[in-house]
Amino acid sequence: MTQLTLASILTQPVGVSHYLIVGAVLFVCGALCMATKRNALGVLMGIELVLNGANLNFIAFGSPYLRKASETMGLDGQLMSLFVIVLAAAEAAVALAIALNFYNSFNTIDVDRADQLQG
Amino acid sequence: MTLQTLVNNLTSDTMNVSLPLFRPELIICATIVIMLIARIPRFTSWLDSFWLALLGAAVAFYYAIPAGGIGAIGDVQRQELFTGMLAYDSLTVFFRLFLVAFAFWFIILVRLTGLADRQDGQDFYTLLLGATLGMCIMASANHLMTVFLGIEMASVPSYVLAGIIKGRRRASEAALKYAVYGAGAAGVMLYGISLLAGITGSAHLPTIATKLAAMDLPALVAANGSSTLMVLVLAGLMIMVGLAFKLSAVPFHFWCPDVFEGAPAEVDAFLSVASKAAAMALLVRVAFGLGTIAPPTAPPIAAHKIPAVAVAYQQPAATTAEAPASAAVAAQANTASPNINTQISSAALAPVRRFIVLVLAIVAAITCTFGNLAAYGQTNIKRMLAYSTIAHAGYMIMAVAAAVYLAGSRPADARDAVAALVFYLCAYVFMNLSAFAVVAFLRNTLGSEEIADYAGLIRSAPVTATAFTGILVSLIGIPPLVGFVGKFAIFKALVVAGGPIMIALLAIAGINTAISLVYYLNVAKKMCIDPPPANRGTVSIGVMPAIYMLIVAVPALVYGIIPGRILEIATHATQQLLM
Repeated sequence: MTQLTLASILTQPVGVSHYLIVGAVLFVCGALCMATKRNALGVLMGIELVLNGANLNFIAFGSPYLRKASETMGLDGQLMSLFVIVLAAAEAAVALAIALNFYNSFNTIDVDRADQLQG
Repeated sequence: MTLQTLVNNLTSDTMNVSLPLFRPELIICATIVIMLIARIPRFTSWLDSFWLALLGAAVAFYYAIPAGGIGAIGDVQRQELFTGMLAYDSLTVFFRLFLVAFAFWFIILVRLTGLADRQDGQDFYTLLLGATLGMCIMASANHLMTVFLGIEMASVPSYVLAGIIKGRRRASEAALKYAVYGAGAAGVMLYGISLLAGITGSAHLPTIATKLAAMDLPALVAANGSSTLMVLVLAGLMIMVGLAFKLSAVPFHFWCPDVFEGAPAEVDAFLSVASKAAAMALLVRVAFGLGTIAPPTAPPIAAHKIPAVAVAYQQPAATTAEAPASAAVAAQANTASPNINTQISSAALAPVRRFIVLVLAIVAAITCTFGNLAAYGQTNIKRMLAYSTIAHAGYMIMAVAAAVYLAGSRPADARDAVAALVFYLCAYVFMNLSAFAVVAFLRNTLGSEEIADYAGLIRSAPVTATAFTGILVSLIGIPPLVGFVGKFAIFKALVVAGGPIMIALLAIAGINTAISLVYYLNVAKKMCIDPPPANRGTVSIGVMPAIYMLIVAVPALVYGIIPGRILEIATHATQQLLM
């Protein structure tokens, strides 16, 4: 059954599901990156990947060419991804400033060295 | 409908309806801009940003008061602002007043403790008001985009606030942990939002509820393993990740003790009260938005305007297909009596509510128990209060679970359950704001935040020690203090809800209250019974801080004895839900 779906995805014209697969791959890469990277900048890159995976979903769900008109989110999809791009930029700016502040006091940005506070 | 009429409708709706009701947020924005600009030219640089921030908060509070005064919160009719992005109802009005008033008192607190001094005070106040703005949006969110936007706008300034003291290792570590965890949780939540919006074809919460009701969920549940259902559950869980992070609910609580220990005590007060209140309001919005069919709003065109524009742009044919469907829905809503309408929606959305109740109940039970057990061995007062915050979040989530459980069958009881939550939050302000204020004042004079250093404080600072003991007793929930009334209201909501899940929650909450006695009273015992260290000098927090402390702490006793006024406001605040 799974093989059949996969096969049909490879032969079909590009639709929502293709975008969703790329989005899911981005999400999983980002989540892995967040979980395994020890460098704070690597973790932040993983977060960007996760956000962009979700963005790709929004674009695909909102596109009038990929889905029937009754199912698409319309402009909401594009608008949400635009907002997310802006928010991601703001968040990255703040997170980088905080990482720099961390570097100034610890002389490293290895998140494993952040062990003064034991959760 | 031509483009011209659409644009005209949109403009008049924005200018005449939405913007006037959005005034408090606009004033906060203006205050932030004025504070930043006032530092630049030489002739305004003498302006103290403390007064600007205080004035901004006061004016915003004035404009947040509804037309008939604070007592008329219950008369506010539910409206949707900005084409359905925000909901304006009694709950919005209440939470806006709550958050802005808290910001006002908080600005005074940071001035008194000296955290925000004249030199870089405007940075602190800017971040604080920015976070408050985000929290106001969280509390009125009615669209998945505003849900995410509000969370981010509240979180990003909070990351900086946690590390506001430069050059301290612990503060920078706390900020980094908060930022990394927070951004990660927000990313996961956004992916969940994209799945939910995609599968229902809308991001407007009430529209999603109607779409979910039309999906015939009971049949999907019966046909075990449907892929649509799996995606919905996945989306729901991912959205819960983001909410649980803001609520500091287990298993996404790791940041809370670390951030609370590393950040200054004043910032902890902000995170534990304002951030928690906004997250609770958002949880109620999302849970009720998805689990119940929203009432038809006063200007019914507002909700569908954006989708209509979008569709009209893309395919004119689609508009005709869409129009009869929405007209039919509207007609049904108008002709069917409210009672029948509720029953239809209640049956169709029962699986959604069951899912929400189950997730919330499990999270609440674990959060509450974990918070209380982990608070035991803590030696740092801020860390102990962090775990206490986690435990209190557990009690509050229980009230939301009870409200969602009741939402389908008994809306009046569900409103009472949300009113219990609102009351608890009001009680929580007095307790936690004064607790962290005392910790901050004592840090300034003792230079320590270890519980052991509070030994024998009653001899050198009797008023402070007595007030702090009272606050701790109120946090346990012992009469005649306000914590008891709040806890009692939530327990009552659980009993009214009934059913095995709610009774189990009640038992867990009861046991937890008993557990929490030990660690709160341990601090009280240290302060009041243990002998003071021999080498301690005089302990004096100063006159103004003492007055401030009494102003925020005494209501915990007053409203514990006569809770009528807050109970009344809480009932008013929830009056428009599920109507």
